[in-house]
Amino acid sequence: MAILNILHFPDPRLRKKAEPIKEVTDDIRQLADDMLETMYDAPGIGLAANQVNVQKRLIVIDISEDKSDPLILINPEILDKQGEREYEEGCLSVPEAYETVVRADTVKIKAVNRDGEPFEFAAEGLLATCVQHEIDHLDGKLFVDYLSNLKRERIKKRLEKHQKQKL
Amino acid sequence: MAKPNLIKGARTNAALILNEVVVQQRSLNTALAHYLPQVDEKDRGFCQQLCYSSLRYYPTLQFIVHQLIKKPFKAKDKDIEQLLILGILQLRFLNTPDHAAISETVDASKKLKKVWAGGLLNACLRNYLRQQEQINQKLLANEPANYAHPSWLLNLYQHDWPENWQRITEANNKQPPMMLRVNQQKVSREAYLQQLESQQIAASIIEATEYGILLDQPCDVFKLPGFEQGLVSVQDGSAQLATSILNIKLGQRVLDACAAPGGKTCHILETSPDNDVTAIDISADRLLQIQQNTDRLGLHARLVAADAAETNNWWDGQTFDRILIDAPCTGSGVIRRHPDIKLLRHPEDIDTLASKQQALLDNLWPLLKADGLMVYTTCSAFKKENEQQIEAFLQRHPDAEEVKLSSAPATPRPFGYQRLPGDDVMDGFYYACLRRK
Repeated sequence: MAILNILHFPDPRLRKKAEPIKEVTDDIRQLADDMLETMYDAPGIGLAANQVNVQKRLIVIDISEDKSDPLILINPEILDKQGEREYEEGCLSVPEAYETVVRADTVKIKAVNRDGEPFEFAAEGLLATCVQHEIDHLDGKLFVDYLSNLKRERIKKRLEKHQKQKL
Repeated sequence: MAKPNLIKGARTNAALILNEVVVQQRSLNTALAHYLPQVDEKDRGFCQQLCYSSLRYYPTLQFIVHQLIKKPFKAKDKDIEQLLILGILQLRFLNTPDHAAISETVDASKKLKKVWAGGLLNACLRNYLRQQEQINQKLLANEPANYAHPSWLLNLYQHDWPENWQRITEANNKQPPMMLRVNQQKVSREAYLQQLESQQIAASIIEATEYGILLDQPCDVFKLPGFEQGLVSVQDGSAQLATSILNIKLGQRVLDACAAPGGKTCHILETSPDNDVTAIDISADRLLQIQQNTDRLGLHARLVAADAAETNNWWDGQTFDRILIDAPCTGSGVIRRHPDIKLLRHPEDIDTLASKQQALLDNLWPLLKADGLMVYTTCSAFKKENEQQIEAFLQRHPDAEEVKLSSAPATPRPFGYQRLPGDDVMDGFYYACLRRK
């Protein structure tokens, strides 16, 4: 197990589109476990592989209070979207920024699990928000893309300043 | 995705909770249940104190706010108004040092992402400190602000109790004491007092009740010896007297018509655990609370989710020896326990509630056996819900007579018995005991 380095906006590598996973190997399972550990450590409730600089379609999620409900989704796809839900989202790649984003309230998802078996499920509320947020990552999209240019630029400037200070 | 951005501070959450009550008209309990878990554990007590105290003095605090601001807050900035109310509460009624009350209030506006409000809050709170004398003079001339009750509520108390209304409103603004009911099936009151003493919990018996104990200081229920084992329940002495006058005997079939959260249902069962007790409540969610209470105490009642007044939806045709109607009411006798009543009740509610009470009385009366007892209680101080309600009932039902109780549960009235807030240590309450001829 290892804690991986999370890329921060505006890192261009976050904009790369992730490739489908052809076969669920031990390496993929190891990556999923490391991503879960990284996510819990952050602390977060969802993480996509390209946030840790692996351009593969893999996301991990756990919205429980006590790390009791880890979910590994390989090659996830949204089959259906219903309703609307506003939520103040934050992202591990965009530290300390929280902004309201409107997404579907209920989604139907198709994915492959860690044993390589395909499955489908319906998510609503926070879980639905989180799945959509993470699938966006796999497509190179960030939650700040839904904000006004002004807000996005302000967040970008703040984070660039932070990174310069760290260097 | 990052963990949800929880706002942790006691003051910020208290402002959000007040907004839920004042603007969304949700009950304080509902709002507390939603926001309190995100407050740091060590600050939860303070957050609760802020909410209860500010609601208790809301009419006063709101009057002061109106003296300090030039134009009213916009609907979307009501949270800032709540912060100002909380700031004045701390300066006027709590022991918060002035500088802390001001700087923490300004800080809380930043957590609400309304940095612009910092200057306004700072100026208003400092103006309050400077203008206290003049504001106090204006307060004296404004009854609702001076007595911290909305004017319609104040008018009703004044109308019904011209001699007592000041004592009532004063009692409504005090913090209520915590009282217990000892489970007579498990332990005696004297033995339980000793258990409390050994835990350094100071307490005394409530003379007027058979099983009641008054704690010197409120205390977390899980610190009470044997709470989880069902040795005691939290219940005001007034409510305990309601069950006493039911005069429960072994083998009786008993109906508790508006039962949630089940305090009186459990008391009925503690008196005689093998009795056939039906507990009805209109809310299925609240019925769960009864279940939790009977489970903890090791008791069993038949639970029904229904409107008790609509008897054809739930009644099996078998009459009852005892019926308790602890009717929905304005709660004007227990405002010290539920200060949100000052903001959530409206003048038109009293008529709606009175007709609901009448429907319960009239529709449940035929379910009572001959010589059976029906006890009608409310936690209201208004005659329309109490003695006038019973007077009208007795006129409508010639087969009903009022039982005069040898040991009165409160001050005798022409019909029934009334305890007003401030009469003694217990909650304001009304009782009437009716026999079917």
